[in-house]
Amino acid sequence: MNRSRVVAIAIVLAALCVATAAPDPAIAGAARQVTVATDATWPPMEMVDANKKIVGFDVDYLTAVAKESGFTVTFKNTAWDGIFAGLAAGRYDMIASSVTITDERRKQYDFSDPYINVGQILVVPKTETGKTLAALKGKRAGAQIGTTGAMEIKKTDGVELKTYDEIGLAFEDMAAGRIAGVVCDEPTAAHYALQRKEYKEKFKIVGETFTQESYGFVVKKGNAELVDLLNKGIKAAKAKGIDEQLRKKWLR
Amino acid sequence: MADKAQRSPVIEVGDGAAIPRLSDVGLFTAWRVAFFGAIAAVAYLAVTRPDPYFRILTFVPDGILVTFKVTVGAILLALVLGLFTGLGRLAKNPVINGVASLYVEVIRGIPLLVQIFYIYYALGRIVHIPDIYSAVIAMAVCYGAYMGEIFRAGIQSIPKGQMEAARSLGMTHTQAMSHIIIPQAVKVVLPPIGNEFIALLKDSSLVSILAVSDLLRRGREFASESFTYFETYTVVALIYLVITLFFSKLIGLMEERVGVDKRAS
Repeated sequence: MNRSRVVAIAIVLAALCVATAAPDPAIAGAARQVTVATDATWPPMEMVDANKKIVGFDVDYLTAVAKESGFTVTFKNTAWDGIFAGLAAGRYDMIASSVTITDERRKQYDFSDPYINVGQILVVPKTETGKTLAALKGKRAGAQIGTTGAMEIKKTDGVELKTYDEIGLAFEDMAAGRIAGVVCDEPTAAHYALQRKEYKEKFKIVGETFTQESYGFVVKKGNAELVDLLNKGIKAAKAKGIDEQLRKKWLR
Repeated sequence: MADKAQRSPVIEVGDGAAIPRLSDVGLFTAWRVAFFGAIAAVAYLAVTRPDPYFRILTFVPDGILVTFKVTVGAILLALVLGLFTGLGRLAKNPVINGVASLYVEVIRGIPLLVQIFYIYYALGRIVHIPDIYSAVIAMAVCYGAYMGEIFRAGIQSIPKGQMEAARSLGMTHTQAMSHIIIPQAVKVVLPPIGNEFIALLKDSSLVSILAVSDLLRRGREFASESFTYFETYTVVALIYLVITLFFSKLIGLMEERVGVDKRAS
């Protein structure tokens, strides 16, 4: 076989591949691409690993949910402050970022079914004797801006709220002695206070979780189609025990 | 040489802060439109749509106070730091000169936002300083370097003859500096320092990243809970505008009073 024939056949084959492959997703509609915003500063739910990849419970879980429902997801690291505004502006299709389902948020956005239950918990320096948020009266406590943790501190009389862009900065500020406590979701609190070696010696978790919250995936108001897809996937993932597996993997 | 000495020189600083000169009629009118327009806009929004605009206005005032505190604290500290840096840059002593020059070079080469993060968290590791003071120090360390360059240029702009004359009258170098050169230089450096003040006022919004509850932080806190991003940032921007315009006008008037020479006039 001479060379030019090989090339010609290759070109024809390539053209055929392109011609047959291209319309496929359009016909099936199944390989729907969904862009997902996540604030990857909330370990172990979502964080950036050493290879600059966004990893965590939410990432694995949503990927599994998407697989069950037949769509694919691409994650986009987005600052928490403004993550909802970006959704409203149509910069991405949904948010998967440890978002607690609240009435205020429900007024503005639509949620999937809840996929995990968590609660707020208080982390303090080892030297602190107070065991509740109320016991920090006259002091300052920190939380990430616009989170349910921040709202809990705000509700507590006599405790001044200090808000941070990232929860890690709140812990660093507590290490520097500028605040007396940090309130955040229990899994994240456990990650910082029990696992991080630079904080393990300095901080302790006090009391039990003092709120009952559920995370949900957030979509733009009225996007019922995506909510249906998500709920279908959440149900299927639960039936297969995927969330239990991931809980073991990420939350110990 | 001689006729150049007749008029005290002017330093041009091009960082964009506009200080209206009475002689610049166009800018003066624009100032009026912007200033009263911004106030009218805020008032109109607060009255016609009290929710959320009036709520925003009642939420942010303590933030404005923090913005002022940071700005004023930082500018005072930066002036002191800048004066010594400027003198150090002119010093013949190689150690003093080297330290001052290194400071200027390092600071000018690092973005302000990075410096603020660095100083705040680095200080936190070493000493326990409350957040607002850390923010003031971070801003002052940065602006001190720029102030230093302004002071150096200001002192250098005073003709050599002044120093020579003072020395020949029997003054020491220090005496000549503090009694003859610096008083003249102050007049020269006033306009660029006014510019730096306005620039610092605006840059003080960067400390909101440190969880210092300044005007921008308060706005962000409000927006992130009420989801009224557009409305909140509209109000925050207008408040900043009113404040900076007010101060630029004030500085402009002050300069007229002190009789700063202007090339334009």
